[in-house]
Amino acid sequence: MPTLPSLEEIKKEVIDSQIWRSVFRGGLWKDTPRDRSAHIIGNVWLHLHPVRIRKRALEWTYTWGLGGISFALYLILTITGVLLMFYYRPTIDLAYRDIKDLEFAITLGKLMRNMHRWAAQAMVVGVIAHMVSVFLRGAYKKPREFNWSVGVLLLTLTLFLSFTGYLLPWDQLAIWAVTVGTNMAGATPVLGNEGPLGNLVGAHINNDVRFVLLGGTMVGENTLLRFYVMHCVAVPLVVGILLILHFWRIRKDSFSAAPYEPNEEKWEVWPHLVKREYIAAAGCTLFMFVWSIVMNAPLEVIANPNVTPNPSKAPWYFVGLQELLVYFDPWIAGVVMPGLIIVGLMAIPFIDTNPKGVGYYAWKERKFANTGFMLGITMWFTLIAIGYWFRGPNFFWYWPWESWLIPKAAPRLTWNVFGPNPTWRLWCTPNLSAFPLWLGIPVVAGLGAASLLLPKLIQKELDGWKTNLAIVGALALVAAAMRISPLHVSLGQGAWLVAFGWMHFYFGFVMPQRHIRTLDWARYIVTMALVLSTTAVLLKMCARLAFDIKYLITIPGISMNI
Amino acid sequence: MSYRKLFYALNIAMMGSFIWSLWVDFFTEWRPYQNKYFAMAADVLEKEGKTAEAKKMRHQWPEIKQILNRDLDRIDRCTTCHVGMDEYVNPTLKNNFTQNPYKAHPNVVEINGKHPFQKYGCTVCHQGQGMGTTVAGAHGRVRNWEQPLLDGKMIQGACVRCHANFEHLKGTEVAAKGKQLFYAHGCQGCHAVRGVGGIISVDLQDIADKPLERIAGYNFKRVKYKGKELSEDDWTRVHWILGHIENDPMEVTPNDPEAKLNAEPIAPSGMPNFTENDATGKREISEEDAEAITTWLMSMSPETKIPHSYYVDAPVPPEPKLSGAAHGKLVFEKYGCAGCHGLHGSKGRRNFNAKGAGQDEKEPVKGMEKGREPTLVDVVGTYTHEELVKKIATGVKSVDIVKFNTGGPTPPLYMPSWKEKIKPDELNDLAAYLLSIAKKQDVGF
Repeated sequence: MPTLPSLEEIKKEVIDSQIWRSVFRGGLWKDTPRDRSAHIIGNVWLHLHPVRIRKRALEWTYTWGLGGISFALYLILTITGVLLMFYYRPTIDLAYRDIKDLEFAITLGKLMRNMHRWAAQAMVVGVIAHMVSVFLRGAYKKPREFNWSVGVLLLTLTLFLSFTGYLLPWDQLAIWAVTVGTNMAGATPVLGNEGPLGNLVGAHINNDVRFVLLGGTMVGENTLLRFYVMHCVAVPLVVGILLILHFWRIRKDSFSAAPYEPNEEKWEVWPHLVKREYIAAAGCTLFMFVWSIVMNAPLEVIANPNVTPNPSKAPWYFVGLQELLVYFDPWIAGVVMPGLIIVGLMAIPFIDTNPKGVGYYAWKERKFANTGFMLGITMWFTLIAIGYWFRGPNFFWYWPWESWLIPKAAPRLTWNVFGPNPTWRLWCTPNLSAFPLWLGIPVVAGLGAASLLLPKLIQKELDGWKTNLAIVGALALVAAAMRISPLHVSLGQGAWLVAFGWMHFYFGFVMPQRHIRTLDWARYIVTMALVLSTTAVLLKMCARLAFDIKYLITIPGISMNI
Repeated sequence: MSYRKLFYALNIAMMGSFIWSLWVDFFTEWRPYQNKYFAMAADVLEKEGKTAEAKKMRHQWPEIKQILNRDLDRIDRCTTCHVGMDEYVNPTLKNNFTQNPYKAHPNVVEINGKHPFQKYGCTVCHQGQGMGTTVAGAHGRVRNWEQPLLDGKMIQGACVRCHANFEHLKGTEVAAKGKQLFYAHGCQGCHAVRGVGGIISVDLQDIADKPLERIAGYNFKRVKYKGKELSEDDWTRVHWILGHIENDPMEVTPNDPEAKLNAEPIAPSGMPNFTENDATGKREISEEDAEAITTWLMSMSPETKIPHSYYVDAPVPPEPKLSGAAHGKLVFEKYGCAGCHGLHGSKGRRNFNAKGAGQDEKEPVKGMEKGREPTLVDVVGTYTHEELVKKIATGVKSVDIVKFNTGGPTPPLYMPSWKEKIKPDELNDLAAYLLSIAKKQDVGF
């Protein structure tokens, strides 16, 4: 009787076979440095990694794996999305029914839909968190400027992917969230029929940018098909291309942006980085599984273009912009602001000339950059929180513990500061303007120019404490004067004035004066424009919430209201 | 924990959660119902001595069963649980089980004979969410489905959707009574039905299908059923209609008469309070009658939703040939005058902030609630025949109504101009009828 071959022998036989060698290359794994390198080099997917990596880049606290987790979520979304495409038909007669079929009849249909929905939400959060962590580590600085810009584009596309997917279930949530979103596009200056200057170039409801998005004048069959194709084919393709670019650049620019130290230790990517990536991806997948089994994706009544839910809210990541609609006209809230955010983010590596704080968290060395960026991020999420949790029917203010079923009185009537037909009186002129345009245009332009230029023109280093004290004191004096005067400003309004006024001067004057006054003029102007448009939002919120001011200046002839 | 341990732990957990999701997906709500039916049916077959058939029945693999209604483009999966009503499992459609979901359809020979289940499906009559395979989902008692199962007698409303001849059918008596009550109490004076009737309030032609967001803004907080607040599961159209007849509509829709929320005051609902007692000391519309009216109104879904071939027409009954005051009484009922002026014109109904004849205005704000439509038996005596005809023909615009509180809201009810609707000879006879019921005035002597 012949002896049976041992397990070791079988293994060797299999690995040495022509089939195995042709598929996997490399022979028996001996765990030598050569084997580990060959494993990375010999595999097209793993080869997106370098062979060896700096040890500091392997620390969990360095990246928190946020980029990797975002990519893992993108893969989960691709897989669940492709599975969903087998069942979903993008027509208004069938779409909602197919979603119901997924819920009631299709094997694992509910799980697929839940996972796709929740992973999409998680990816939006993940990508934003990734951006914040990259910013705070200064990892966008030379030579990584371009990759940061690609990342900003990927963030924008992530939001757009999520937004296009919102429409597909064809329920009330879907069409009204998309209606809110695309109506904002209709307010684009020049290109939108409701935007300023739109009528001058002949933008109508049936030829503007909103029409292009919707494939019609309202959300309908064409919109569904358009969003479906964008969601499943066009945008993922672009995202895929940009992802390859993004990864390639990371590999070329090396992991961790910190300057090299002498004799710095390097570890092999296989297994040290790959195992960490796997753990992050597996943890993420597990989390999505459990979340999707426990929580069902929302589904409302079938879409009905004739019935508007009150309130209609945009998808949560756009609710901040919707909240801005309370304070600004749609062309500012829906187009200029998001445009400025995207362009401003992409411009950051090119205007930040501070060489310090590369590759590590540096609060002290990058005060201005970190403060400005975190102010923007805080405002973005604060506006989302207000819009999502504090707005009820008619978009009136409802505290989270108040029932939406109890109707509320409309807010007080508003007035404008500068505009046609002035009354020359403050406060008591609802829907009218207090002062004329011929005064308003130079005053607003002058204030803008002064805010823009003053920090650079004062070249002397100002004392922080004294300046702040002077600003708060001056604001308090103004508030007190307004209280004694016939205007009778209330104590609360005074407090708003002091608080928001101080924020404006601190972020828009004190900080730039201290930190960027030595910047060259081009970078200085761009930076200040971004900083001031952020603080202007704060000022406008204060003006509206505390003083019922609708517009600072209104020029109805060209629908230009600010 | 080392990476190796973490690696194994996560892989096992991922595998576990995948098995968990398969488990959740496999052990669905409907499966035990179908298995139990097979077991029960097999027991019956065994008792009858049909061992082979019993064995086959017992070992059937449970599956989702569905009926496609091609005319309505609907999928009804009701027979997945209600297996006794599935022709393929139970060809006779009869059994002796008494409990749902196992029992057979009542009156099955007649109903399946005229409306074969395999052609029509279930939801065409019963409503509910045909595609659902969970109890709450299929019965439509979920927030995203607005056609929940029609309970009890309410299902008669479904018959009326197609059967214009329902007043002569067996089994639609409640709906027929509802229709008769609707017209007897003058509801059509304000509410048109498919364009026929008054214009003061909404046309009810689509009330059974109207989106809840539109009719109630999903706010049923003030609608009470038998004096109790509704649970959210009962936030349905049935309860919206019923709530208007069984409650004081002013409580259901109080609006904003003192302009606390809006720039202008808005009067509360002008619909009469049908829980008020009539001359006999009973509620004008009893709870039973209210349900009958609701049953009939639950037939009001847009005609476009039903295939033309489903309609069963009925001839319009001829009007009785009458003349003079007797004809006038018929006219009074036909146009729903009782809606505002009370049955037989005996008592003007409430009209918020409208100052009726002889009412004082010492407390204009509180008095708004006492506002009334004219009580015809009291006031028509002061008119001549010609004056009365002219008054009905022109009507009284709401801006011309004398208000209790001049700063208060415009009264919700007003006298429409009837000259376009009531024909001249009808108008003449109506005036004659009204003058005949007027209380005799003590004039002179």
